[in-house]
Formats: sequence, C-alpha cells, structure tokens
Amino acid sequence: MRSSSYPAPPAARTGSARRTMRAMLVLAVTAGLATAVPAAEATSPARDTAAAASTATADTASDVAAKPFMGWSSWSMQSSKYPGLNPDGEYSYLTEANVLKQTDALASKLKKYGYDRVNIDAGWWRDNDWKPGFDPYGRQTNDPVRFPRGMKPVADHIHSKGLKAGIYLPVGLEKEAYGDGKVPVWNAPGCTTADIVHPDLRTTNGWDSSYKLDFADPCAQKYIDSQAQLFADWGYDFLKLDGVGPGSFKSGDNYDNVADVAAWQKAIAATGRPIHLQLSWSLDIGHAADWKRYSNGWRIDTDIECYCNTLVTWENSVNDRWDDAPAWSDKAGPGGWNDFDAIDVGNGEMDGLTKAERQSYMTLWAISKSPLYTGDDLTRLDSYGVSLLTNREVIAVDQSDSPVARPVTPMGDQQVWGTRNADGSYTVALFNLGDSPASVTAHWASFGFTGNASVRDLWNKENLGPHKNKITAALPAHGSRLFTVKPGGEALPTTGYEAESAANTLTGNASLAGCDACSGGKKVGNLYTGGKLTFNDITVQKDGIYTVRVAYVSGDARSVTVSSNSGNGSSLKFPSTGDWGTAKTVSVQLALKAGSNTITFDSGSGYAPDLDRIDVPRSV
Amino acid sequence: MDIPHTPSPDDRQRPSRRGFLALGAAAGAATALGGLPAFSASASPPRPTESPSLSPADAARNQLWWQAPGSPGSMIEQGLPVGNGRLGALASNDPAAELLLITDATLWTGGLNDTLQSDGQFPYGRDDFGSFTLLAELTVALPDHDLGRVHNYRRTLDLAQGLVTTSYDLSGVTYRRQIFASRPDDAIVLHFSQRGGGAYTGTLSLAGTHAESTSANSAQCFASFGASFANGLKYGAAVTARSSTGTVRVRGTSITFSGCQDLTVVVSGGTNYAPDATAGFRNPSLEPERLARTKVLDAAGHSATSLLRTHVADFRAVFGQLGIDLGASSAAQRELDTWERVRARDRDNVPDPELEAAYLQFGRYLMISGSRGGLPLNLQGLWLDGNDPDWMGDYHTDINIQMNYWLADRAGLSDCFDAFADYCLAQLPSWTDVTRRLFNSPANRYRNSGGEIAGWTVAISTNPYGGGGWWWHPAGNAWLCQNLFEHYEYTQDRAYLSKIYPLLKGAVEFWEARLLTTTVTDASGASREVLIADSDWSPEHGPLDAKGITYAQELVWNLFDNYRATTETLGRDTGYGRTVDRLRERLYLPVVSPKTGWLEEWMSPDNLGETTHRHLSPLVGLFPGDRIRPDGSTPKEIVDGATALLDARGMNSFGWANAWRGLCWARLKDAEKAYQLIVNNLKPSANGGNGSAMNLFDIYEVEQGRGIFQIDANFGTAAAIIEMLVYSRPGHVELLPALPAAWAASGSVSGVGVRGGFVADVSWKNGKVTRATLKSVGGRGTTVVAGGTTREIGLKPGESVTLRNLG
Repeated sequence: MRSSSYPAPPAARTGSARRTMRAMLVLAVTAGLATAVPAAEATSPARDTAAAASTATADTASDVAAKPFMGWSSWSMQSSKYPGLNPDGEYSYLTEANVLKQTDALASKLKKYGYDRVNIDAGWWRDNDWKPGFDPYGRQTNDPVRFPRGMKPVADHIHSKGLKAGIYLPVGLEKEAYGDGKVPVWNAPGCTTADIVHPDLRTTNGWDSSYKLDFADPCAQKYIDSQAQLFADWGYDFLKLDGVGPGSFKSGDNYDNVADVAAWQKAIAATGRPIHLQLSWSLDIGHAADWKRYSNGWRIDTDIECYCNTLVTWENSVNDRWDDAPAWSDKAGPGGWNDFDAIDVGNGEMDGLTKAERQSYMTLWAISKSPLYTGDDLTRLDSYGVSLLTNREVIAVDQSDSPVARPVTPMGDQQVWGTRNADGSYTVALFNLGDSPASVTAHWASFGFTGNASVRDLWNKENLGPHKNKITAALPAHGSRLFTVKPGGEALPTTGYEAESAANTLTGNASLAGCDACSGGKKVGNLYTGGKLTFNDITVQKDGIYTVRVAYVSGDARSVTVSSNSGNGSSLKFPSTGDWGTAKTVSVQLALKAGSNTITFDSGSGYAPDLDRIDVPRSV
Repeated sequence: MDIPHTPSPDDRQRPSRRGFLALGAAAGAATALGGLPAFSASASPPRPTESPSLSPADAARNQLWWQAPGSPGSMIEQGLPVGNGRLGALASNDPAAELLLITDATLWTGGLNDTLQSDGQFPYGRDDFGSFTLLAELTVALPDHDLGRVHNYRRTLDLAQGLVTTSYDLSGVTYRRQIFASRPDDAIVLHFSQRGGGAYTGTLSLAGTHAESTSANSAQCFASFGASFANGLKYGAAVTARSSTGTVRVRGTSITFSGCQDLTVVVSGGTNYAPDATAGFRNPSLEPERLARTKVLDAAGHSATSLLRTHVADFRAVFGQLGIDLGASSAAQRELDTWERVRARDRDNVPDPELEAAYLQFGRYLMISGSRGGLPLNLQGLWLDGNDPDWMGDYHTDINIQMNYWLADRAGLSDCFDAFADYCLAQLPSWTDVTRRLFNSPANRYRNSGGEIAGWTVAISTNPYGGGGWWWHPAGNAWLCQNLFEHYEYTQDRAYLSKIYPLLKGAVEFWEARLLTTTVTDASGASREVLIADSDWSPEHGPLDAKGITYAQELVWNLFDNYRATTETLGRDTGYGRTVDRLRERLYLPVVSPKTGWLEEWMSPDNLGETTHRHLSPLVGLFPGDRIRPDGSTPKEIVDGATALLDARGMNSFGWANAWRGLCWARLKDAEKAYQLIVNNLKPSANGGNGSAMNLFDIYEVEQGRGIFQIDANFGTAAAIIEMLVYSRPGHVELLPALPAAWAASGSVSGVGVRGGFVADVSWKNGKVTRATLKSVGGRGTTVVAGGTTREIGLKPGESVTLRNLG
C-alpha cells in the first residue's frame, strides 16, 4: 500500500471535493487575484474527513480529544536504565508512590499550562518479574506490591488534584488470563475465555503476548465490556491500548486489531464514562481511517524511549519523527490526533539530549499537534526544561485550530515546516537536523506570499520586526526556531504549469495518469529508473533564483533530481503525502533566466514522486 | 600604440596596489626576502597612527561570509583559517563557545629517520618520520550566548585584511568579535566588542593537545603551558586577556571575565625549532613557553585597535599585490552566503564570476597566512583538526608541495615563495648526507645501478628534520629545482639564484651519476644512443622500477637546461654548465605510442598503468614545464599525444588532480575544459566527498564517506585561474590564452607575475584584451601575444608599458 506507485483512484467523494477546490484555485491564478495557495486550503478536505471522524466518536463524549491531550506518562522512566529509577528490576518505577509523587508535581508545576493527564503505562498488573495478575474474570488486576491499595484510590487522588487518570492494556486476551478456556467472563453468563478466542489459539499484538479475540462470538465483546466497565468503575479517563495492529511491527490477519479497537469504542460508550482511547504503536497508516473512526489518537511511530541510560536519545528515536510525520499530517484533527509519543525534554541530563535537541523535539510535537505528555521526572525538571514545557505561545501552537504543519521544503538536514493559521498568519518552524550548526532560510514564497512580514520568535519571546521575502537563522546542530509570521499582504504572482501539459517532454516510462486530487485531474507518474519530466518554456521576467512550488503525489518519501536549464540540479527527497490519492506541495530553489527556461524532474536510478503541477513566481 | 607610462588613476586595481605597498612600507612591515626564523624574540613593530582599514564597500569585494558557525567536530570543513605565516588557527565562531585550534608549522614529532627498512625504503610513522601536530586549543566560553538565542548571525572572512569577524544580535545588543593572526605582533588576537549596552561574562581556557598541564599566573593574568616531545623539540603557548571594564582574573588554570564591555584576548606559542641542520634543527637557548608569555604580555600592552591596525597594514600590503575581476555576478548570487553560493553554483550550473574570483583570492589568503618565513605550506597548509593528519601533514615531493607553490609568483606573492626555498636550503645538508650514505644501499630498488653516488635527492615524503618518509623519489630533486628555478624566472633576482645554486648543482650531480646509456631505435628504424634514468616509479602507478620513465626524463631535461642557464647568469661553473647541457641533448625524450596515441609514460607503447590515474607525471613537460608547447615550436604529434593522454586521464578526478588537469588544458588553450575543472573543484563536498568544504578548503575523499583536507588544490586551482589569463615563459607572454565564455564579457587582472621578470595587468572586454600593462621587475624584453597580435617590448627594470588595441 505505502509503496505502490499507481494505486486505484481514491474514493470519488474525497476526489471530487479536491477537484472542485483545485479548479477554483486555477481560476484564481488565471485571474491574477488570490494567487497564493495557502497551506490551510490544501488540507481542507482532510479536515472535513477529520470532522466526520470526530462525529463518529462524539457518541462517547463530544469533548474527548477536541485538542491534543497534555500530561505525564510513566513509561519513559520505567523503560530507562538511568541510575536509580528502577531499583527493583526493569520497569519497577511504576508504583503508587511514584505515580502520586508525579501527580502532585504535575498539579503544582504544569497543570496551569494545560497538562492534566496522569497516564499509568504497562505493568500495573504485573509484578517486578513481569508476572501478571488477573481477577476471577480474566481481567487484569493491580499488582499488590506496586499498587497496594488498588487502582481506584490512585485515580481518586489524581482527580483530587483536578487531573485526569489514564490506564493501559495490551490488545487481545493475555495468554495468562486464558486459564484453559474456563475462566468466566464478567457479566456474561455462559461465556468463558474459550469462547472469546479462536480455537487454534492464534496470537496477536506486537509481542504475540495475547490470544486474538474472535468477535464472531458475542462473548468477545462482553469481555471487552467487562474490562471497560472496570476502568469506568475505577474512574479512569483514558486508556492506552498497546500492541495494536496492523502496526506494532506486525501485519497480516492475526494482527489486524481493528475489530478490537471498534469493540473498545463500543464498550467505552456503553459505560457512559467519557474515556479517551489511545492506540499504540507504529499504527499502519493504511488503516488511518479505522483509527480515526474508532479512537482518539494513534502512535505514528515506534517508542521514543531508548531503553538505555537516559530516557531517550536523539538518534533513538527522536529524530525519526521528522521523516515519519509528514505522511500523517492530514490524518489528525479534533477527536483524534497523531501521537508522536512522550515529550521528554524536562531534564537534559536524564533526557539524554542537548538543549537544542530538546527545543526541536518540543517544536515538532507542537506544530504537529501531537499530544504533549512528558515522561520526565517532574520533581527534577531543570529550569530550561520548565521553560520548554511551559512556553504558552508554543503550547498554543499545539492546541490551536490550525492544520497540522507540513514540510514546505524537501526532506534533508535543513527543513522548513509550516502551516497557515486562521488569522492569516503562518506558523513557521526551521529545523537543522544535521550534526553541525547551519543556517536555515524560510522563503515567504514557499507559503505563497512575498514582501515584508513581521516575525515573532516564539521560543525567545521576541518580536524580530519585518523581514523581507525570507528569514534566515543560524541553528545549532539538531536545532530549531519557531516563528509566527504575519504577511504584509503582498500575494506572490505566479504562473502555474501543469505536469500533463502537452508542452512538456516526458522521457522513459513517464506517463500521464488520472488524479482526482490533482489540479487538472491529471498528473505525470511512472517516474522511475530514468523516467523524466521536463517543463518547457517556463517564462520569468528576470534572472534570479526562484522559489518554485511543486505539487506532487507520493504515498511514501521519494527522491527526484530537480534542475533548471543546464543545471546539475539536486537530488531532493519529497515527504510522503500520506497516500497515492493526496497532493501536497514543497518548494525548491532554482536559478531561472529572463525569458524561457526548462525545469526537469529526473528519477535517476530510483523511484520519484508523481507530479501534479509547478507554480513559478513571475519575477523576483 | 605602445605607451610607456605610470599607472593611470582610472585603473581600478592598480592604484590600490600601489597604495597597499606604500602602506606596508610605512608600517615597517617586513615583506622583503628572508623571513623570521621559526619563533623568536622580535622588537616591537612600528604602529600605524592612522587606520589602514578598507572601507566596508572596498572590503566587501574580497569577503566570504556564512550565516552559521562551525562545529567543533568539523573544524577542517567549517573552521575559518587565520595565520601569520607560522602560527595558525581554525576558528569555530560559535557565539557561546569560540574554539581555536592553534598550530605552529614547526610542531613536528619525528626526526632524521635515517635507518632504512629492509626494503631499502624509509619508515613512515608518526614517531620515526614524524607528523605535524596541533599546538593548542583555545576556548572562550560565553554561556549566555547560546546560538539558539541569537539573531542575524554572520561571520565573515575578510581576505584582503586577514580578519575573521563574527557578529550577532542578542537581547537587543549587537555583539562582534574579530580574530586575526598578526605577523608583526607574532600572536593571534581575539577582540570582543558590542554595541547596545551588553557585556561579556565567561571563561577563557588554553589547553595543549598532548596531555600538557596548563598553569596560570594571577599577578600578570596569563595562562600558559610548556612541554617537549620525545625528539627533544620544546614547545609552549600562552594566553592573556584584558578589558577596559569589568573584571578579568585567573581562576584555577583558566582566566575568567565578567561584566566586560570589551575583551581582548592574545594567544601565542611556538617551538624551539631552528632551520639549521648543523644545530640538529633546534635552538637550545629558546624557551618557548617563556617567549610565548613575553609575546602575549607585550602585545596585550597595546590597544586592540592598535594591534588590529598593525596587522591590517601588514596584511593588506601583501594581499593588495593582485586584483582580479572576472565579471559581475547576479544580484541573486550576491545575496547568498558563500556556502549557499557554492551549492547554487553546482546546482544551477550558472557561472558565478565573483565566486570564482574569490576562490583565487582565498588561495592567496591561505598562502599569505601560511607561508611567510618559517616552514613552507605542507599537505594541510598550516591547519589541523587533530594530531593524526593523513600522510602526517608532511611535504610530498611528487606533486603536492610543488603545486602549493605554483600560485606564489603568478599571483603577486613572490615573497611567500621564500619559505619553500629556505626550507629546501635548510634541508640540503641532511638530504645530501642521507643520499650519499643510504641511497645506494643494496636493498634500495631505486639505487644507482652503476654504483656511483653524488649530490642529493629526497623521498616522496619529507619532514622538517632532514628526514625522508615512504619511498625514495629520485626525480623529486629535479622537480623541486624546477619550482626553485622558476621563482628566479619570475623575479630575476640574482641573489636568490646564488642562494639556491647549491641545490641546483647538487641535483645535477646526482643525475650525472645516475643516468644510464642505452640504445633506442626510432620509428624510422635508426638507432641512437641516449641517456635514461635508472629504475624508478612513475608516481604513483604502473611498474615499480622502470627505466627511462617520462617523468624523470622530462624533469632532468628541465633541470639540466635550467642549470646551464644558471651557470651563465651567475658566471659560475660555466664549463660544467656546458657539459651538463650536452648531457641534456642526449636525454631520451618520450614518443607517442603507436598503440594508444598517447605520449608514453614509460618507454613502452603499452598502457602499463591506470588510464584515469590522478597523477599527470608524463605531462610535466606540458605543465609545469613548457617543453611541450602548442605553438608550432613542438612537433604536432607530440602535442597531440600529450593532448590525447590528458583527454584519457579524464575530467572527473579530485582536488589537486583536477587542478593539474586544468593547468594543462590552459596550456593547451582549451578554455572550457580548464574552466570545467575549476568548476569541478568548486563543487560542494557532501558527506566527505570530493570538492569544496563550507570554508572552501579542498576535500579529498580518501575513502568512502571520509574526506580530508588537502590544501594543494586550493593553490593549484587558483594557479589555473591565472594560467588561463596569462601564459608566460622567458621572452614570451600570451594574454588570455584560455579565457572561458563565463568570464569573457569583461574583466581584469592586475599584478600577475610573468616569467622573464615582469608584472602584468590585463583588462578585457568581449573576450578581447582592451589594455595590458607590463612592468619590468628585472626583465628587459619580451614578446607579447594577444588574440592574433604580437608585440615586442623593451623595458628597463622599473619601467612599464601599456598596450592597447591588441587582438
């Protein structure tokens, strides 16, 4: 799915909406009126879909996941080998005492900034040797050493601080709960564990630690109902369902847990208690519609934790998110968000990150509207960590109604991301993912405007004044900047060139294809191993270096060599558009001369994205 | 019309050159022959009373700039170089942590290395042969100036004034730091200033890189260290700081400062190396740590402004001796910083004449910074990022050191050549001794099979202690002499020629003893007796011991020719000179292979090596020699064979190999090929790949993903730019022999050295010379060719002539 070059056309419903919008834009360009193509409009059909998804979950509670949630989670410290955290063996950090300690710290330090969740992660029903405990109905029950008073008093304490409580389960029937198939299901006369799984005891989830539930038998739903009721009775507000597939490094029928997730949604609704349902980990993007329909959030990637002497490291796996996030940008919205995992930026030494890395981490999460839950020891935040976690302007970016930001440049060591805000300003993030300091420039033309724009530096809380056409900043290794940019109102006159234009030259396998998401309803694809598309007669008024916006379709990140005239070009990796039915835009810099030029997209020895159109400023 | 004249005021570059020279003289800057010994006490220099600084607009013409600092982990690619000819540094320019990796050209491990291996060749390790190493690391920590908090960061390398400037805004204050390596004050100075009510608070630390212990002195507020190597070389460094406000004091082994509105840091250091074989290359009376303290305390007694003026007056005087304009770049190109510009040049393949001219000036900047008295530029010039440079950061005699000095005379830097000549002279006693004792050792496959030995030669690698490394390199002596003699051709300086005479004569004697007589059959079937070189390796491929390799035949031919000319000029050994010239006439010279159509590299029609090998050894007669000339004076088939060989070697090598190819194509007047090779070297290096680093140092990908700095390409590529504009040999000058379309519209160059004893200024428009001025620096007459026009000029030393309507 993610790698096919030529998928079937997307559902007509989405396609027609986009085609209409595109047609309007083309019209506007021709008329020389609203020539900018704001990022917000490019994602608007997705927002419609997201709204539809949130309607589906609205039965449970209209305000669940209206915004990305914020809070604390236990797993980062549980999973770390940082000295002293887990004195009684791996994952032993998870105890009532520690949870309450973190609860109190969250309430006193971070609650006023919006952090209100305390999420208990894996192990609450397992002893320090990771041996699980179950009640007589095969439901997980608190480990008496970790949580001697049970789980309800913990939730009560969390609530007493004005916070919400979260709990955790792996998907499926844990093997140890099976009890030879004789364990009765609570509140389900006649149902035993033998009824809820497949006779062949096929396993499921990311660790194969559970038997796959068989929802053909109504007893299976009853089992889920019984678990949900327990959590509702205890007073939990949030459930992380882990090991869910397709995803969690698994694929195939045994690991398809869509039915489990649907059953959980139904069970939660039946309890009458609004419980946020969060899915983990590395969920298959091909099932994004299912996750949106049945849950309130999904982890897009593997664990952030390094399982090493710190909580995380940059390489393992904080920096993966820059590569993996773009595919998901359209999938998030009110009711369900892309979860990038914990935001462990509160204590540099324990986190294992530089200051610059911590700021970039928080920046990507905020512009991506990921939930913001830290896994840090909240009793030991350092002052820089506090400044990151409590920057109200940055938190506001995360919690705003703006669409999820996307890269407006190709992928690489230096990247610019952004999104258009409702007030016409833009949130613009600069990133330097390289190992050396580097300057990064955001060209206003990438966002479709030009001239002066006022710039606010959110991290440094400074107004930087008007900047003409662009802003450049020196970024440390793995560093970032986060700006709000208010255009002065000058639209950028551009000329659009369709990939399918008869004036272009197609080489090799390159060929035209229908594309509902594309302007003109067509694109050029089959750009692989030598396939090439040359736009001929690109006309500009002056010699200069131009910011050319490229609309493309690519279900995965793909590279293409982009050149003008006799240039060598550069090999640029375009981020995934999420699927083969969605068009997105990135900008490239190219020298053009006054008069007629060519611009070429060459697949070289690899596979390139499909191309929709390019928009070239008329002058510089 | 030919009008002898003095320069007219409308000439853009010429008047400034005059001005610079006057400036240097006024400042008492030593630009004359014969530099300082390595590290020694010196009298306080005269201080200019007026600012010698360029106006911002004039300075901008020769500035490189970047919008991000360097990484401490990538200093070779990203650090900005400064140097006073001996003492150098790479600076990171990070606001919160300025890092200087400091070098002294003489800080070498190793020694004479005169115990050969069982194969008769030299050991080549860091203990025996030795290695160039770092002197010190200096850090200035300003914890509040985190890069993530600053705006409008910019750092500039001012090539004309020898100045690195970093500026940035932080909390409403504009901070600025200037770094320069002063030759007059023999120290590196860092001056921190600000505008807007800011202050500096932080820590200054000086550390050795060989586990030395730094100590600090509170009373005089300095920190220093001193130590010695196993080879007995003593070295040391010291730093001090001053501020007109705030407090500066010693804490532990560091210097701390707080609330300083300005801060001046002075660092110096050196060794007790002496360029004297009879003294074992040491000055035993010199205490480097003490001398370093004296120097920094003396310098710190002057204001930063005074130190800067003294430095700029000295530096500008040298830099200003050549100006170049290859045409205007676009506004869009000018808007880009240097690294963006390098990348855009490659991406768009749109010529960027100002960038290309700046590349030449950067090469000159490196030469001025790294070669003024003391030891010559090694494989990495004067700059290091660690103590294990590839090939020891040594002197390679089979292309690299030669290429380093091709630029000097061509580019108005004749004085910078002295370090190379002085090095060879200082090494000569050891080279002679080692050659006589060891060259004919039976195990050495390159020994003289006739058993005689005389004169001197070298190994492929040489160190500053008279020692060789790796393999014997018999023809290396002739190639060193080729450079040495050419310097005389440019300068017509007889005192210099007398000085190097022992080197020339010793090399001649070596070859007289080494040449073998053999009989060859010409294509016509006639046989004749010729002289050929004994067994040798054509660098660095093909058979290990072949007789009569073209490389040796051409270089010896050149050596004998130059020797005869020298004896006549100096009136010394004229009889021997004639004898040697008769030997030259008997030398076998290469023919064109009937099989490949190439000029033969070995005395064989077969291609015995790698077709696209980096070295152009068989073409030394084309460049740097000029026995092979595409002007009708060389048989066409030889020129064609040389061209075919050059063509076969290809256009896609790396750094110095591209530069050499470019120089050869310039000699063959193929402007576009020569230009393409310059463009190839300007390609941005990515992930250690071949090309230019962010700081424009040339990077050679020594293995997949690992690039190293080899400075020879920075000089060789710059030399190629000059060679495309002016070709010369004694009595013959050709203007714009290989002007590419990219530079043809209009341009000018002034101060180009011309063999035969002239300096040329040339202006052109639409590919045609519009005006040329030749000034005699000792030459009396020459032919000047431009376009289709030939002129004969006659001048007395000091006179100049301007030619118009050429071509």
